[in-house]
Amino acid sequence: MRPRHLALAIAAAACSAGVCALQRTADFGFGNDDSPANAKAEFYWSRLAYSSRMSAMQGFGSYSHRGWYNSWSRDYPKADRQFLIAMHRLTRIEGRPTEQVVTLDSDEIFNYPWIYAVQVQNWSFTDAEAKRLRDYLLKGGFLMVDDFHGTEDWENFMNGMRQVLPQSPVEDLHSGDEIFHTLYDIDDKMQIPGEQYVWTGRTYEKDGYQPKWRAIRDDKGRIVVAICHNMHLGDAWEWADDPNYPETFASMAFRVGLDYIIYGMTH
Amino acid sequence: MFQFFFKYPGPVFSRGRLVLLSAWPAWLLPVLILAAAAFIAWLLRRPRGEAAPALGNWRTLVVWAMQSALVGIILVLLWQPAMTVGELNSQQNIIAVVLDDSRSMSLPDRGAASRESSAIAALEKNILPGLQQRFQTRMYTLGEALTQVPSPHGIAPLEPATHLDSGLKQLADETSELPVGAVLLLTDGGQNGAELGRSEISPEVIQELRNRRLPVHTVGFGNPEAGHDLEIEDVSLASGAVANARVTATITLKQYGYLGQKATLSVRDGEKTLAQREVDLQPDGRLQTEPLSFSAGAAGAKRLTFGIAPLAGEENQANNAMTRPFLVSDARRRILYIEGEPRWEYKFIRRAEDGDPTVQIVSMLRTSENKIYRQGISSPDELSQGFPSRAEDLFAYTGIIVGSVAADYFTPVQQELLREFVDRRGGGILFLGGSSALSDGGWAASSLGDLLPTFLPQGNHNFHRNAATVELTPAGLDSPITRLLDDPEKNGERWKKLAYLADFEDPGTPKPGATELVDMHAGRRKLPLLVTQNYGHGRTAILATGGTWRWQMSEALGDPSHDLFWQQLLRWLVGETPGPVTASMPARLLQDEGRVRLIAQVRNRDFQPAADARVTAHIVGPANSDSVIDLTPSPDTQGQYQADWTAEKPGAYLAEVVAQSSGTPPQELGRDVVTFQREDGIAENFHTAQNRQLLQHLSAATGGRYWNPSDLKNLPREISYSDAGISARTTKELWDMPIVFMLLLGLPLGEWLLRRKWGVL
Repeated sequence: MRPRHLALAIAAAACSAGVCALQRTADFGFGNDDSPANAKAEFYWSRLAYSSRMSAMQGFGSYSHRGWYNSWSRDYPKADRQFLIAMHRLTRIEGRPTEQVVTLDSDEIFNYPWIYAVQVQNWSFTDAEAKRLRDYLLKGGFLMVDDFHGTEDWENFMNGMRQVLPQSPVEDLHSGDEIFHTLYDIDDKMQIPGEQYVWTGRTYEKDGYQPKWRAIRDDKGRIVVAICHNMHLGDAWEWADDPNYPETFASMAFRVGLDYIIYGMTH
Repeated sequence: MFQFFFKYPGPVFSRGRLVLLSAWPAWLLPVLILAAAAFIAWLLRRPRGEAAPALGNWRTLVVWAMQSALVGIILVLLWQPAMTVGELNSQQNIIAVVLDDSRSMSLPDRGAASRESSAIAALEKNILPGLQQRFQTRMYTLGEALTQVPSPHGIAPLEPATHLDSGLKQLADETSELPVGAVLLLTDGGQNGAELGRSEISPEVIQELRNRRLPVHTVGFGNPEAGHDLEIEDVSLASGAVANARVTATITLKQYGYLGQKATLSVRDGEKTLAQREVDLQPDGRLQTEPLSFSAGAAGAKRLTFGIAPLAGEENQANNAMTRPFLVSDARRRILYIEGEPRWEYKFIRRAEDGDPTVQIVSMLRTSENKIYRQGISSPDELSQGFPSRAEDLFAYTGIIVGSVAADYFTPVQQELLREFVDRRGGGILFLGGSSALSDGGWAASSLGDLLPTFLPQGNHNFHRNAATVELTPAGLDSPITRLLDDPEKNGERWKKLAYLADFEDPGTPKPGATELVDMHAGRRKLPLLVTQNYGHGRTAILATGGTWRWQMSEALGDPSHDLFWQQLLRWLVGETPGPVTASMPARLLQDEGRVRLIAQVRNRDFQPAADARVTAHIVGPANSDSVIDLTPSPDTQGQYQADWTAEKPGAYLAEVVAQSSGTPPQELGRDVVTFQREDGIAENFHTAQNRQLLQHLSAATGGRYWNPSDLKNLPREISYSDAGISARTTKELWDMPIVFMLLLGLPLGEWLLRRKWGVL
């Protein structure tokens, strides 16, 4: 394929992905569409679609051995939907069975007080986006971040976080923290690896040898950002039905995710 | 003039009794009068010759009336009419002269330096010389108490209060052995009691005076209407509130001379102004009621001053302010919130109450079918068995929020406890909308349907996850629950601009007696959103949504609307919920007297009246005065205890009432605090216009007369007509009254003139 044709193909694919993303992010359940795919519910599994540094370098997305993907959409949507199945079976939360993608482009995000973000070492914010996320968290929104590993990823994550909450310290969570006791009492946590564990046997990626359960609190001590560093809960949800992926990791990931949601809906 | 026609003064007729001195039977008189009238009618109507001039019908009637009246008067005179009236014997009776020497008598009077100087001048020039010709006089002054003085000389208006009630009673008691023929009271009628409804002579005192047949003649000084004055008449204020609550006081005021002008009302705590607003002044003398809202502020016993700023030319500025004791409590009231499913409303209600130190939410959330997540509990055991099934457990809370929970989640025992919680315990229950709430939760068919403030709709598909906008009803514009802004109009506009609700539920129609505070617009439907009602001793409300959380997430960061609304709603829910011990007193503001009755209603943990409790009150007053008193059971009301006590010094007092069970060892049942205040000398600043109505009532009720200071010359003579003291009944014949002769001549003369005019002589 000639370079010119390749560029056109990439542009067309990017446009298609963009249109698809726009369709998912428009009218977040508060419109008049009563179709089952857009059913209204109390809880929406809301995945944050952020603009990434990678996107800035490489366009809207990039290509890997799995096909087209965006940094924010790792494990999407299978992880989300499998988690929602577990949530429906194990809690009384009335949640929509399909996920919801939200962005920081508009105030629509304020309709979704719980959001989930992955690969946050790649996120970057404009000033307006950072302010919107800061307002969101200070008003009562809750953010769970997952799937970033090692020292470099941490620094990149914190670069974005300092734009949002520059004065708020990050602290390690302990087993006694309330967030681990809302639905399940999780006292013995472990590092939850991604799918790569199946063929490498390693629970870590990059230099993220130790799991870091961390959080940022508001001025009243309530957790507003729950940080799962050196872990990949999303993969554990996504591959929970894979016989090669250990059930122990998957079960722990579900319990942690449910505890975090209940915490986000009660604090 | 009256005496010119009738020969005798008015009291002869008003106090005397008509008698007929003739020996002929009295019944014969009306018979003869009727017979004469009939005979005259026959004469006038009998047929006469055609040459006789004819009278028309109405002319015949006039002639008949005049002739009958003439015959009637003559017949009455034949029966020798007379009046018998009690009259004081000369030089044998005492006239008690009582002069008001309270501070209000120092105010200027028409043309005189003061009311007091006018009264003394009237006494010395017009009254005492005449009285002393026939009677002994005994001089008294009346302020806080009645005091005998030798003469009016040297009396100065310095007394801090006027107690007409107790003064007249004291006079009647002290002179019970003396031949007092009448009482002459010179006053402005300023019976103290700045609060409305207290400026009256008590019926007991009037009855005592009537029993002695002692007439009270009153002479009123001072203008009945002030020239230019603003006056606070009354302040109606709750005895207390929780810290930082919005409180509304009702101020009653009156003005003279400032119609149409604006004045500024304010409430101050010491030097700090809590709130103020302008009001338009209404016509002279009309009572004007104005609400004034303010924040209760921090906890503590306070002395709030409600005032109206003086206007130019105001004659009396001492009546522009009034104080009230006010107790702000920081006791945390615990609300039990039961929620059937995790939802955002739960989180944001809890967050709103995080900022309210006076309310604590204890919540139980059904996270899964068999798991309950508890927050705000005081011990691991609290709610560990689920929703309380015993009164002593449930009644420990002051309010309950029922979220998206179906009615059948509660056992019949728990449902009955919910009813008792409101009806008997006096708590508040708030029902929220939700997928398992209200009609969708089967509440319409439950035994608790009558607890709800609306008639729930039929069916169970009344909850919708669609947007609804909100709007205040007229009742909600200035309700303390929905007041986001003080100005009702701006408040209404603010509500219209609030973010839409995430969901809504049709709550049906409000019941009679319920108050609809907020409406919502869902599509083309207009539905009640917030409805409240009183039920038994408590209150219930419906907020037909689970989606107010959008007000917090979608309004600007820092917007207080969501949190303020929820704090106000929950304070309303529990603000009036009584504790196990409720202390009260009939009046918390004591004016110029210290007697106070302290009452405590004591209940046990089941909120049944505690009949065998030990109740004490620790009273702290000014200058570190300190007393502990026991309250004794009331013979009339079970569980009520009371004690009488006297606040000796003016100032602020605080009484803490503690009730203990009678068991061994005794356990505390509860405690309550009440504040009160004694003010001396303040009341004289209020109601300074002459209270002519009171004086006229006092005189009329006792057989005396109200006198104007400018018309006293007949007083010494008329005061002698009294049945009190040493008196004799005298007979006053009436046949020679000038009016009789005028009628005897005037009636035939009038008939002749009329006949001549009509041409029928």
